[in-house]
Amino acid sequence: MPNNAQLETFTAGAETAVDVAQIERQLHELWQLAAESEKDPTQRQITRACLFNFIVLSETEAGATHASEVISTLTSRHPCRAIVLSVASNSPTSELSASISAHCHLAGTGQKQVCCEQIAIHASGQSVAHLGSAVLPLLESDLPTIVWWPGNFLTRMDLFRRLIAVADRVIYDTSTWPDPQPQLAGLVRVLTEYPRCRFTDLSWTRLGLWRKLAAEFFDEPHCCAELMQIRAVDIVHGRGPGAALRAWLYGSWVAAQLRWPLPETRARIHLSERDDRDATSVGILSVAIKTGDATFSVRKNHGESTASATVDMPNACGLPRKRAFWPADDASLLSQELDHPARDPVYEKSLVIAASLLENIRQ
Amino acid sequence: MKTTLGTNPLREGISTQQAPEPCALVIFGATGDLTHRKLVPALYNLAHEGQLPQSFAIVGFARRPKTHDEFRAELRDSVAQFSRFQPINPGVWDSFAQAIFYHQSEFADAKGYKSLDGFLRKLDAERGTAGRRLFYLATAPTEFIGIIEQLGANGLVQSGTGTQQRIIVEKPFGRSLPTAEELNHALAGVFDERHIFRIDHYLGKETVQNILALRFANEIFEPIWNQKYIDHVQITVAESLGVEGRGGYYDQSGAIRDMVQNHMMQLLCLVAAEPPTALEAEVIRDEKVKVLRAIRPIAPDQVQQFTVRGQYASGSMAGKPVPGYREEKSVSPDSRTETFVALKLFIDNWRWAGVPFYLRHGKRLPKGVAEIAIQFKAPPAVLFAAESPEPLQPNVLVLRIQPDEGIAVRMNAKVPGNVINLQPVKMDFLYGGSFGARSPEAYERLLHDAIAGDSTLFTRRDEVERSWRIIDAIIAGWDASPAPFPYESGTWGPPEADEFIERDGREWRRP
Repeated sequence: MPNNAQLETFTAGAETAVDVAQIERQLHELWQLAAESEKDPTQRQITRACLFNFIVLSETEAGATHASEVISTLTSRHPCRAIVLSVASNSPTSELSASISAHCHLAGTGQKQVCCEQIAIHASGQSVAHLGSAVLPLLESDLPTIVWWPGNFLTRMDLFRRLIAVADRVIYDTSTWPDPQPQLAGLVRVLTEYPRCRFTDLSWTRLGLWRKLAAEFFDEPHCCAELMQIRAVDIVHGRGPGAALRAWLYGSWVAAQLRWPLPETRARIHLSERDDRDATSVGILSVAIKTGDATFSVRKNHGESTASATVDMPNACGLPRKRAFWPADDASLLSQELDHPARDPVYEKSLVIAASLLENIRQ
Repeated sequence: MKTTLGTNPLREGISTQQAPEPCALVIFGATGDLTHRKLVPALYNLAHEGQLPQSFAIVGFARRPKTHDEFRAELRDSVAQFSRFQPINPGVWDSFAQAIFYHQSEFADAKGYKSLDGFLRKLDAERGTAGRRLFYLATAPTEFIGIIEQLGANGLVQSGTGTQQRIIVEKPFGRSLPTAEELNHALAGVFDERHIFRIDHYLGKETVQNILALRFANEIFEPIWNQKYIDHVQITVAESLGVEGRGGYYDQSGAIRDMVQNHMMQLLCLVAAEPPTALEAEVIRDEKVKVLRAIRPIAPDQVQQFTVRGQYASGSMAGKPVPGYREEKSVSPDSRTETFVALKLFIDNWRWAGVPFYLRHGKRLPKGVAEIAIQFKAPPAVLFAAESPEPLQPNVLVLRIQPDEGIAVRMNAKVPGNVINLQPVKMDFLYGGSFGARSPEAYERLLHDAIAGDSTLFTRRDEVERSWRIIDAIIAGWDASPAPFPYESGTWGPPEADEFIERDGREWRRP
C-alpha cells in the first residue's frame, strides 16, 4: 500500500517506476489513498476524472517527453487515462518497463484538484511485439479509446493494426511525415479499411480558420451564387513542413464541397510556393478564390497572429474581416479535435481528392 | 438551434456556428456599468471567436458628449479588464473597434432618435448592416418605456427594407404585474413579441442549459422524475454579498423581485417542465408557461404558511464585521424590505402533485452558491431497519449551478466490515473537471442568440406575467404582515426559516 509521500509524488506529476503487471493495482491503491485523505480537512481534495483512454505512440525519447507535456496541458480540459508508449524496436535488448504519474489541475474555485493518470510504457527490441498485451488490460471500460500517433503510422502497420483494433479514433499529423504527398493514397486505403474508426489529421485541423473565413464569404445568398462561378483557387504556401500538402488539402476541400470533377479540379486549383518567415507556423500564406466578377481573398497578416478576409466585387458581401488564428501547438489542436467526437466526412472527401490529384501529378 | 442563412456547401463540417445576418446593435445606456463590464467584453469575445455578423456595427447611445474614438478607447480598457481572452489581440480589437460608434442624445429627445435613424442608414450604406437593428435597453428601468415609445414614434422599428427590428430588455421586467403589463404593452405597441428578447442571464449559464440535457438526454432520470419518487425539491440561490452600493434600488425591490420572480422561477420551470417536443424557442417556452400556470397561487392570507422573509442584521462575513441591511447606504433605517425569502410552492399537475418546491434566496448568507436539490423519497425501512438504528438517508440529486458547477448524487452504501452498517456516500461529477473551465460567458451566448434571432433562452411575455401573478399575491400578503425576521449576517437566514421547513418534517440542505 503506498503512503502519503508516494501519493504526493504521484499527484505532483513525478514518475514512479512500477512493474507492468502491477500498474492497475498500484493506481487503484493511490486513488484509494487520495479518497481517504479527502476526509482530512487540512488536505486538498482530489478528484480523479477520466472521459476516454488516450494512447500516444512515440518512437523517440524526446517524443515521449513532448507527449507528456502535451498531455499535461490537454488534461486540464480533456481528462483521460493517458498511456504513453515509447517504442525502440531496433534496440538490441528486449525490455518492457513502466511508470505512473498524475496530471492535476485546480478546478472551479480552486478548492479541488482534478487529476488524471498517465501510464508510460517503454518497450524495446523483441518486447515491442508484446506491447498490445500490456496495453489492452489498461484500457478503462465503457470509454472511447483515442490513439494519437505523432509519427507516420503507415511505416509501422504491424503495431498500428494491433492498436486500431481497440481504437475508436486515430489522430496523426501529416505535417510531421517526411515527404507525405506520395503516401496519401496509402492513407486513403487505411481509412477505407477501418470505416468504424475516426481518422483525424492535425494538418487538416490547422486549416480550420482558413476554411471558416472562406465559408463566411458565401453565407449571404447573393454571394453564395458566386460559388457556381469559381474559375480559379490560387493558393500560396510556404516551405514549412507539410505546407504544400495542406495547400492541396485546402484546394481539394473546395473541390469536394462544390463537387467538381477531377479534370476541372486540376484546372482550377493553382498552388505556388513562396519563402516566408511565417510559413513554418502557418503553411498557407494566402488564398484567392476567383470568379468572373469577384475575388475572395484570405491572407495571413505578416508579423501578426491574424488573417484578413477581403472581397473584391461590386456590391461586396461583408466588410474586410480580421480574425485571430487559433493556437496551433499540439495541445491546442488536439483539444479542438477532442471537442468533436464524430467522424469528419468533409476531411475524408477532401483527402480522397487530394490523393487523386497528387497521384495524377506523380504519374 | 437555428441558423439564419441559406445553404452554403463550404459550411459543412465547420465547427463554429454560422455567423448571423448583418445588423447594427444600438445600446441605450452605453456609458453604464453593464455595457462596460458585460456587453462589450462579450461582443469582443464573439468577435474573437468569429461569431459576429460579417457586417456589424455597435452604436452606443447615451447622454454624455463623447467622440467615437473616446468611446472606443474607454471600451478597450473595459475589454482589457473583463474579456475572457487575455491579453487583447490587437488585430482583432482594431477590426472590432472599427465597428463601434457613439451617438449622444437625451433618452427623451425625439431629435436624438431622428439623427440616430439617419446615422444607422449611413451605416447600412457604409458597413452593409442591411437595415437590421437590434436595440439593447441597458439603462435604468425607468427609461425603458420612454425609449421604446421614441423608437416607435421616430420610425426606427420599421426599416426601409421591411425588416422588423428586435429589442433586448434587461430585467427587471416591471416590479409588479401591472407595471410588467405596462412595459409589455409598450413593447407590444412597437415590437412583435417574436422580436422581443427579455434577458435573464441565468438562462445563458451552461449549467442551467444543462438541466434540459440532464433530464432529457439520459434515460435513467425521466422515469423517476415525478411525485411517485420525489419527496421534495429545494432550489437555493445564496449570496454572501450585501447590497453593495445598490441600496437605493434594492430597497424598492427586495429579494423576491430581484431574484425569485425571474431567475429562481426559471430554474423551477426547467426542473419541472414536461419534455418539449423540439428544441425550439416557442415549444420550450410553452412548457415553461404550463408549469407557471400549474403553480398553486399563495393567497395573501396564506403567506405565513407558505413563506418566510428575513432581513440581514449586522454580523460577520469571513471573519470581518459587516453592517446590517438598515445601516447600508441609501437604505431606509426602518426598511421592511426583505433580503431573505423562503417559499413553498406546489405545482398542481399530474407529475408534481403533492411535491413541495422549496425556494430559498438571501443576501449575506455564509457563501455564494446556487443549486437545485432533488430529494427522493426514503426507501422502505424494512430490510436494514434492524441493523441501522438511524432511518436511511434518502437519495439526493444535486444540480450545482455555481460555483463548482456539477452534479452530485447521494446514496447509501455499506461500510466495509463484518456487520451491515450503512453510510451515505456522494458521487460527484464536476462539470469543470470533465470539460475544463472554458465556457463562454452567459452574455456571450445570449447576445449571439439575440443577434441570430433565436429566442429560446429568453423570457416570453406570458412567462413574465404568470410569474408576477404568483409573486404579487405573496407581496400583497407581506404588506399586511409584520416586518421581516432579522437574521445575523453570515448565517443561513432567520431561525423561522428552519422552523418553516421543519414543520413539514424536512430540513434545509447546507450547500
